[in-house]
Amino acid sequence: MKVTGIRVTGQTCRLSRRLARARSPAGRLTKNCCTVELFTDAGHTGIAIGQEASRQAIEKLARDLLVGADPRGVKGLWQRMGQAQSARRRAPRLHEATAALDVALWDLKSKANDEPLWKTLGGARPRARAYASGVDFALSDDELADWYGTMARKFGLRGGKLQVGHEPTTDVRRVGLMRKALMQASPEPELMIDADESWLPKQTIRRTRAMEERFDLTWVAGATRRGDATGSKRVSDAVSAAVCVGAGLATLAEFLPYFQQRSADVIQIDIGAIGITGALQLADAAFGYELPVTLAAAPGNIQAHLAGALPYFMSLEVVDPIPPAQLYTSDVRIEQGAAIAGDAPGNGLALSRAAPASKPARATVRR
Amino acid sequence: MKITGFRVEQYLMKMDRLVGDANLPSGVEMLPGSILWLETDENISGIALGYGGGIESLFGAVEGADPREVVALWIRMNDWLHKGGNEGAASAALSAIDMALWDLKAKLAGEPLWRTLGAIEGRVKAYASGLDYCLSDEELFAFYRRMAEQGIADGKLKVGLDLNADLRRLGIMRDALSVASPRPGLMIDANEYWSPKQAVRYIRQLEKHFDLLWVEEPARRWDYDGLRLVSRQVSAAVASGENLHNLAQFYPLIANRAVEVINVWTGQSGVTGLMQIAHMAHAHGLEVSMMNAQANYMAQVAAALPSHNMMEVVDPGREHCLEWDHRIEDGCIVLSDAPGWGIEIDEKRLRELQANPPTGRGRFPFPRRAGAGRYIVPPAPGEVPWKSGT
Repeated sequence: MKVTGIRVTGQTCRLSRRLARARSPAGRLTKNCCTVELFTDAGHTGIAIGQEASRQAIEKLARDLLVGADPRGVKGLWQRMGQAQSARRRAPRLHEATAALDVALWDLKSKANDEPLWKTLGGARPRARAYASGVDFALSDDELADWYGTMARKFGLRGGKLQVGHEPTTDVRRVGLMRKALMQASPEPELMIDADESWLPKQTIRRTRAMEERFDLTWVAGATRRGDATGSKRVSDAVSAAVCVGAGLATLAEFLPYFQQRSADVIQIDIGAIGITGALQLADAAFGYELPVTLAAAPGNIQAHLAGALPYFMSLEVVDPIPPAQLYTSDVRIEQGAAIAGDAPGNGLALSRAAPASKPARATVRR
Repeated sequence: MKITGFRVEQYLMKMDRLVGDANLPSGVEMLPGSILWLETDENISGIALGYGGGIESLFGAVEGADPREVVALWIRMNDWLHKGGNEGAASAALSAIDMALWDLKAKLAGEPLWRTLGAIEGRVKAYASGLDYCLSDEELFAFYRRMAEQGIADGKLKVGLDLNADLRRLGIMRDALSVASPRPGLMIDANEYWSPKQAVRYIRQLEKHFDLLWVEEPARRWDYDGLRLVSRQVSAAVASGENLHNLAQFYPLIANRAVEVINVWTGQSGVTGLMQIAHMAHAHGLEVSMMNAQANYMAQVAAALPSHNMMEVVDPGREHCLEWDHRIEDGCIVLSDAPGWGIEIDEKRLRELQANPPTGRGRFPFPRRAGAGRYIVPPAPGEVPWKSGT
């Protein structure tokens, strides 16, 4: 089987709610992304959803390194793409582009075996413990309670991650609202907060400790500026909650200081940043330190496929339980507090052909 | 597709020659062999080479399961071993079952394991390793020259008991390899015979004459402080790991950057376990090197590891009842496209070996040598076929 060409199509979709965080408080109601289709001579098409901004990088990387290659050699191709990254250090968006192509290659590898991705990865069918993540900085109190209430009632989610960084009293009130809403699914919901790197370490310590007088927090994410492993260590040493590290980190090397200083208590893995191959490596490194891993949200919740193959899997983030059907559908469903992948071959993403391409950019290469 | 049963066959091999290191420089030629078959309901079985008993204690963790879910089954087996630990015979059983599961997973996909594991090609750079403390100077030269003629330009010598003889023999290995490269890569292996400071003194003497790629097991397997001390004091990289069996045991070595090269092999909790070790090493910027294996079959896994440098090739004749199609070409192990490990068992030959076990000198594995870690006991007269250097 050989990759024969690629099509990357820019897309815009309307979000189900305004997504916002402390550092982008106004948030947004639409999201730009791109659909990636890797074509092969075997008739299979590998699908991934990438970031709109990495469209050109994806096309170039695929043309340079993937066309003509056997997608089943995905780990070797990951290394080749990684070498391209180190050779062109300043090329923009290469990490995200590599990650998107890695996802599409794994899709092809499992389609070639006619099995779902979770099985290709060696996992058992995942029933992955999931939590709700509102990305909710801009939601009103009512909207917040409503959204987490729906997540608890309709999808059985028993944990939630709130975006914090408002006035202290506001943050405390909103954690309480989230907790109350999630109690519709569990008497003791799992509570997490995300400061989106908006605080300095000492601020994080004061704010988290104040919140911990009222609530038992599982973890605090975005506790320090990304890369500040020393600050992260200070937070971890000072608060009861675990410090969750991983958002914004795109390579194994960026995680190294957190491992070496033991300044992360939970490792968040984002396949959109580090790919599936990188995720497997990172999860094993975390296992070496006995650190739990949590999977960040991905389009269509396809990160669920990995859960059964990660030795110290803890939980999985759900931002949208149901993907935007106008763009694509997914074979992963959220029910009774878990993300469950189905039996469709590959990662289970299917593009909706009627999708309106906002900025069609086609680059099909055949060799 | 379900796992339904298993079978283990044990046998004894007489190798084509003696193999020995600092702990037994006179060497042994007898090697116990063992083959595990994991059977399925679809008339296809997966094999694992080189393991013995203890399978029955863990088989319940995989019985009835789909072998393609091998990583999840590894997690389950590891959880089963929670109380006693993934150690000793239990660890060997876990390794064997995991190996056979990966063989099945690749066979079910109809592809060689290197492809299942995501490698681009079934080709791995090789280095020669004579296990050669028991070889005369002439035999030593002949072994490395034979390897060099297959394009292999790096070699690893057993050392530790006689500084001057080791210096002479390093020169012999280099000369033999020089037909493959003007600058052969030279490595040494002391098999934990020294204390850390003995290692430093010894290696610094060798480094006055030779540029060494790595020194293997210059201190005890768990002694991350000692290994790190050696690493900081000599120019060569420090390699270790062949006697550790799971990721947790590697934690102090990797987290403390005690070594630069990690030796990986099947006995490290199987393919799944050794990939974990390789991934953790990779995250820390360390290299891994695959240990020798019958018919070099572990190149299947080495091909897919990030940061793999080269694989050890010994070739002492251990393939008595195996059929395979891997070869050495231009200094690389080249794997065939046969599914799974690419190894078939000649059961007729196996029965013959079991019915009429061969006899010969010694038996692998051998004990630690007197003086180890404290003082050096040089070979006694007649113990080795080479001349003492003193």
